[in-house]
Amino acid sequence: MSRMPAQSRDLEFRNAAMDVTIAVLHHTEPPRLADAMHKMMGGMPDFFDGEATVLDLGELAAVPDHIDWPGILSLFRRFCLRPVAVQNVPPELLEGLRQTNLAILPEGGLRNHPAPAPAPASAPVQQQLALTPPPPSAQQATTMIIDRPLRTGQQVYAQYSDIVLLCGSSSGAEIIADGCVHCYGPLRGRVLAGGSGNTNARIFTTNFGPEIVSIGGIYKTFEHGVPDSIAGKPVHVRLVTNESGQKLVIEPLRLN
Amino acid sequence: MSKVVVITSGKGGVGKTTTSAAIASGLALRGHKTAVIDFDVGLRNLDLIMGCERRVVYDFVNVIQGDARLSQALIKDKQCENLYILPASQTRDKDALTEEGVEEVIDQLRQMDFEFIVCDSPAGIEHGAVMALTFADEAIITTNPEVSSVRDSDRIIGILQSKSRRAQKGDEPVKEHLLITRYSPRRVAEGEMLSYQDVQELLRIPLIGVIPESEAVLQASNQGMPAIHLKGSDVAEAYADVVARFLEEGSNEEVLAKRPLRFVDYEKPGLIKRIFGGK
Repeated sequence: MSRMPAQSRDLEFRNAAMDVTIAVLHHTEPPRLADAMHKMMGGMPDFFDGEATVLDLGELAAVPDHIDWPGILSLFRRFCLRPVAVQNVPPELLEGLRQTNLAILPEGGLRNHPAPAPAPASAPVQQQLALTPPPPSAQQATTMIIDRPLRTGQQVYAQYSDIVLLCGSSSGAEIIADGCVHCYGPLRGRVLAGGSGNTNARIFTTNFGPEIVSIGGIYKTFEHGVPDSIAGKPVHVRLVTNESGQKLVIEPLRLN
Repeated sequence: MSKVVVITSGKGGVGKTTTSAAIASGLALRGHKTAVIDFDVGLRNLDLIMGCERRVVYDFVNVIQGDARLSQALIKDKQCENLYILPASQTRDKDALTEEGVEEVIDQLRQMDFEFIVCDSPAGIEHGAVMALTFADEAIITTNPEVSSVRDSDRIIGILQSKSRRAQKGDEPVKEHLLITRYSPRRVAEGEMLSYQDVQELLRIPLIGVIPESEAVLQASNQGMPAIHLKGSDVAEAYADVVARFLEEGSNEEVLAKRPLRFVDYEKPGLIKRIFGGK
């Protein structure tokens, strides 16, 4: 809430980059999406917290004649997501979008990410990315290091890189890394590794106690608390793919 | 050199105003010239707890808006020589606190040679609470031993680390102290309440003291007397310890070794006490 000293102008425009959630729609019927979202959030309607969301229509299974936009928008709002824009819109759908007040992003408006990870049950892929940053380069991919405890309500995003937490995190914090998450201290809160779909990312901690972990968009919540066998212990989380699908594996980590 | 100390918590009802009154009085009793400012504009409680509500003529907002001079609004405490109270306005809301206005008042208090400026923060994390912590050099995070209070304290520590002037200018960070209030060793022993070790493990900031839950606090507030003046009570002694530790130099371990925590252990009442009744 820091205020600048008295300004001479009444209004200023500034540029900023922001994190948005992209929802890639494969289908557009609201009931079908509602089912899919319900399944993904595992009955946690407040999983999201009013995040700005861009709807991506570039991967629709088929381009429908008509889209129930009011239905879709109210569905997203119900899950505490705030649709602000659409991207990759097939030309046939542009007319129907006029009434929605959503911004239509130009092609390439958002930085292209590696192909999103296949999500369970063909549900929309949820990923985090930032608007208009420069493309990744070797120099940028330096690890992000956080020297202080990460507190409730604080969020960090290590873009293109790993993150190291030296003092742990609190419940209610959110840690997102495109790479791995390494935590020396209690790891609590929401922990998302492989933020842009990297299914090889992993999570390491010396003291495990998060509310939710995710790798490459695959989530696990701990509704009944973290099991005693791993709670507060050194732990290693990875994503295993086999014929029955993808699964998060949480194993004790042996420290000598 | 003045020190600005914010008493904050995030959550309401944990004892911020009680603590502000007790610590400001404790500092004054030890001979330090102290001012205590009520930032809870619109609700105004500190003057009641300090027992000066009938002497409020001008308030903090009057001073910020230039309707009164600071010296007109400061109320001299009736019990401590070195203590002055700057009450909040009851008729305004917190938006009346501008950052420039608050800074101006704090600068003036510095010029008046106040050694400590204690800021009693309102609950919440909105404008009023942010204004209270913006100029802080040190912060006493007041927390009850229960999970929602701990989480709110954690949130306010994060805000302190991002929105305080020290954080924004990249100076040495605000020095944080954890104060646990309304602590009941019996309920901790029975597993109904978080222990102070649990709270500290969750918040990971240095512990400055533990204030036991006590009925005396309510009586003292009703009488308009800061809890530190309750001679012989555990609450008064615990607050006196907190003030002494606050003034002590050295690491948290050294300070706690020199002045160990009191009133944190529960002794089961013995058979005789149980038969013949407690107090």
